[in-house]
Amino acid sequence: VPKVEHLVYGDRKVFTVTAFNRGIGMHLGRLPPVWVEGEVTELRRNDAWANVFLTLKDPRTGACLSVTIGRRTYDRLALELAEGETVHVAGRAEIYELKGELGLRATTIERIGLGDQLVALERLKRKLAAEGLFRPERKRRLPRVPRAVGILTGADAAARGDLVATIAARFPAARIVVREARVQGKGAAGAIVSALAQLAAHPAVDVVVLARGGGSFEDLLPFSDESVVRAVAGSRVPVVSAVGHEQDTPLCDLAADVRAATPTAAGALVVPELRELEAALAGTRRRLGLAVRSLLERDRNRLARQGERLRTAPRLLLERRRAALDRTGARLQTLSPLATLNRGYAIVRAGGAALRAAAEVQPGDPIAVQLAAGSLDARVEEVQV
Amino acid sequence: VSESKSFEDLQRELEEIVTRLERGDVPVDDAIALFRRGEELYKECVARLQGAELQIEELLPGDPAT
Repeated sequence: VPKVEHLVYGDRKVFTVTAFNRGIGMHLGRLPPVWVEGEVTELRRNDAWANVFLTLKDPRTGACLSVTIGRRTYDRLALELAEGETVHVAGRAEIYELKGELGLRATTIERIGLGDQLVALERLKRKLAAEGLFRPERKRRLPRVPRAVGILTGADAAARGDLVATIAARFPAARIVVREARVQGKGAAGAIVSALAQLAAHPAVDVVVLARGGGSFEDLLPFSDESVVRAVAGSRVPVVSAVGHEQDTPLCDLAADVRAATPTAAGALVVPELRELEAALAGTRRRLGLAVRSLLERDRNRLARQGERLRTAPRLLLERRRAALDRTGARLQTLSPLATLNRGYAIVRAGGAALRAAAEVQPGDPIAVQLAAGSLDARVEEVQV
Repeated sequence: VSESKSFEDLQRELEEIVTRLERGDVPVDDAIALFRRGEELYKECVARLQGAELQIEELLPGDPAT
């Protein structure tokens, strides 16, 4: 252990200020590293400095502690600390020799609770996802023309103003039902759930927009509360979530039927553009007229064709009958034995039956020979079998 | 035209009528009845879009669901 030099005046040991501070510093350096909790005040950071300085304050007593942390170390933490935030700082006590001031040499800084909150949030997200709350097939289509749009908002004039202005510009005949609720801090989750239930129970409300401007992670936490997420997923009417900024994803965004990046975008989702709707309606009506006209036209043509067929039908029928008769006659002709006799054949009969074999008769038997014209009575002279 | 039907219900019915007429397999008497119904639906849709003004209503925590 290095000794601190001191002067001697007679029997008095005297330290220079520098030596005293250094001596204290050496003692402090032997203390173990500790975690200190406090609120951030007087945060000073400059690209040209090797260290970042801040003061930790105990909110109950006002006691203060200077904290120094290497600038690169601080930047790597990417905390973007704001004044008033509560943090945990790990480090060792040190003394600033030049000023004799006690401070804390920090090795790391953590935003208090945030780590735990993130873990809890992730756990809740996984649990609700496993239950199927965020499944795409659960998402409902928004009504094209809602009878009334419900708006759930905090005392956040900007978000509400943007939303109402967008709705009014697109659809001047819109009906809007606003329900303000406490959307951050203690009791916010319960307030949001009951406000949502009240809006959904309104007989004219066909869709609800959650309109909440940007805010800190903690400010937006109620919109990730399990009760709020479940209320959004189970809402009677579809819900559009317009909470926080683009980069924020509160869990209610996942449970909502549609997520809107901004209140303005939400406005465009919940009501149609009146002029487009009117144009579409006019188009449909035109088609209605055209369709019925062409149907009547077709019917008239069919009627005309039927009249024509009615007039020509009897003649056609007669012609067809005659042709059929002719065909039958021709067939009859070919089957008649007379046609065969005409070609020089004869039919020989013995005792009335036609002869097919010579052995059927004996010499001397009488036979009749039928020719195409007339017949002969004859007698068998000889039989050759 | 029923008051309780939503704008979308009316619009959907109108579209179905037009599609049926366009398909053409409709007897003439039915076609004329369908056309009349279509015109009625169109007029109701237009009426619902016009005339009304922006209406903003504030709900308070204790308000009963009217």
